[in-house]
Amino acid sequence: MKRHLFGQVVLWFFALIVLIPLGWTLLNAFKITADLLTPVPKLFFKPTLENMAYVLGRDSVFAALVNSLIICLSAVAIGLALGLPGAYAVARHPNRATKEVQFFVLSLRFLPPVAVAIPLMVIWLNLGIYDTRVGMIISYSLITISITLWLAIPGFLAVPREVEEAARVDGCGPYAVFFRVALPVAGKSLLGALAFSFVLVWNEFLLALMLTTSDAKTLPIVASEMSQLGMNVPWGILNAAVVLLSLPPLLLLGLLSGFLNRAFAQKTR
Amino acid sequence: MRVRNTLPYTFLIPTVLLLMVLAFTPLVYAVSVSFTDRTLFEATSSWVGFDNYAKLLGDRRFINSAWVSLKWEVVTVTATMLLSVGLGVLMFEAASRRSRAVLCLIFLVPVLLPRVCAAFVWKFAFHPLYGIITYPYRAITGNPVDVLSDPNSALLAVAFVDVWQWGFFFAVIVLKLLESLPPQPIEAARLDNAKPWEIHLYITLPMLKAPLVSLALVKAIESLRSFDLIYVMTRGGPGIATETLDMYAFSQGFIESGNISYASSIAVIMLVATILIFTIIWKRVNR
Repeated sequence: MKRHLFGQVVLWFFALIVLIPLGWTLLNAFKITADLLTPVPKLFFKPTLENMAYVLGRDSVFAALVNSLIICLSAVAIGLALGLPGAYAVARHPNRATKEVQFFVLSLRFLPPVAVAIPLMVIWLNLGIYDTRVGMIISYSLITISITLWLAIPGFLAVPREVEEAARVDGCGPYAVFFRVALPVAGKSLLGALAFSFVLVWNEFLLALMLTTSDAKTLPIVASEMSQLGMNVPWGILNAAVVLLSLPPLLLLGLLSGFLNRAFAQKTR
Repeated sequence: MRVRNTLPYTFLIPTVLLLMVLAFTPLVYAVSVSFTDRTLFEATSSWVGFDNYAKLLGDRRFINSAWVSLKWEVVTVTATMLLSVGLGVLMFEAASRRSRAVLCLIFLVPVLLPRVCAAFVWKFAFHPLYGIITYPYRAITGNPVDVLSDPNSALLAVAFVDVWQWGFFFAVIVLKLLESLPPQPIEAARLDNAKPWEIHLYITLPMLKAPLVSLALVKAIESLRSFDLIYVMTRGGPGIATETLDMYAFSQGFIESGNISYASSIAVIMLVATILIFTIIWKRVNR
C-alpha cells in the first residue's frame, strides 16, 4: 500500500497546481493594491470589495455583459434549433452521406480562426453589420451549430431503438417520435452538449476581437482591455474581472462532468 | 410498403446548407482578397496576382512565425499527452473511487476557464516582482526572474499555461478510457506478477492506441487556437519570440499596417496546410 500512498501524494500535488493559482486569483480580487504588490505574497489581509464594485459599476462591463449574454444565448439557441435535428438524423440514419456530413461538421473545427475572422470582418463591413450583435450571433452560430451537432450524436445513439419502435406502433410519425420520444429521453446528454457550446462561445476571443470595436464588444474583450487602464496594470481590478468572467463556465462544471461520464459509460456497454 | 421517410432530409439539408454558406463564403473571400492589395483604409483594391505570396517567401518575420507555430504545436501536444497519460494512469492505479471523482472535477476546471482568464491568472503568477510562482526564486536568490520577457523562456512559459488548461482535462479522459477497458487482460498480467508500469506500457496503452492518437490530433487542432493566450500574455513578444502565424496575420492586418490582403494570404496558407494535414491524418486514424 506504500506505492498507493506515494501515488496519491503525487496526484494531490497536481491538484494543488490546479487549485493554488485559482485560489490565489480569488484572494487577489479582494485585496487593495498595497496588499497585492508585495515582494512576499500576503496570505492574510483585510479584504475589500472595492475591486468587485469597480468592475461591476463600470458601464463598459455592464454593456459587455449584456452583449455576451444576448450573443451567446442566441447562438446556442440557433445551435439547438439546427444542430439537434441534424444530430438525430445522423444518429438514426447511418450511411455514407451522413458519415460525410459528420466529417464535414468536424472539419469546420480545423479552420484557423484568423482565416474566418479576417474575411468576415470585410464582409460584415460591406453588409453594415460589423460591430453589431447580429454579426456576432451569425459568426458564433458556425461554432454552436457544428459543436452541438457533433456532441449530440452520442446522446441520440443512446436512446433505445425499442422505445422509438413502441411509439411508432402507437401511431407516432417520425417527427413526433423525434419531439416526443427522442428529445426527452436523450435530454440530459443534449443539455451537456448545449452547455459545451455555450462555454465555447462565452470564452471565445479572437473573432470577438476582430469583429467588434465598441458596440458589440463581449466580456473577454473588455476584460483583456482592463490591463491597459492607465500606466500601471490594475491587478486587483483585473483579478476581480477574471473571477467574474470565469463564473458562468464554472457553474456548468457539474453538468459537463456528468456529460463526460455518460459519454464514456455508454462506450463500455 | 412504408411511406418514404422525409425526416433525414428536412433535418439535415437546411443545417448543412447554412454551415456551408457560413464556412465557405469567408474562405472564398479570404482567397480572393489575398490576390488583391486591399487595406483597412480604402475600400478599393486591384488584382495583384501572387504578389502577396511571393512577398511572404522572402519575409523573415513570416518564416519566423511559421517556425514558432511549429514549435508551439510540438511542445504543447507532446507535453499535454505526456501529462495526461501519466496522470490518467496514476489515477487508475492509486486513487480510490471517491478520490477519483473529486480529482476529475478539479482537473476539469482549467479547461473551462476562458483562455483570457487563464492567461491573466498565470501572467500575474509569473510577475517578476510580485508573482507567487516566482516568489521561491526571489526568496532564495534575492533577484527577480522574468520568464515572459526572456526570449528563451517566453514561449515555454505560455506553452505551460496551455498544457495546464488541456493536460488535466485529457487526464480525465485517459482515466475514463482506462476504466472502459475489459479487466481480464489486466488481471491476467497481474497474476503473472507484471509490475503496474509494465501492464500499462505493454497492455493497456497499446489497447488504447487509436483513441490516444485521436486525442493527440484533437489537441493539435486546439493548439492552433492559441491566439488568446499569446495575445494576453506576451503579444508575440519579446521581439517576435512568441509570434505565431495567427498573431503575425493579426498584427499585419490590424495593428501595424492594416494590410488585409497580406494578412489574408498568411491565413490562406495556414488554412491550406491545416486542412490538408488534418484531413489526411484524421481519415487515416478513423478508417
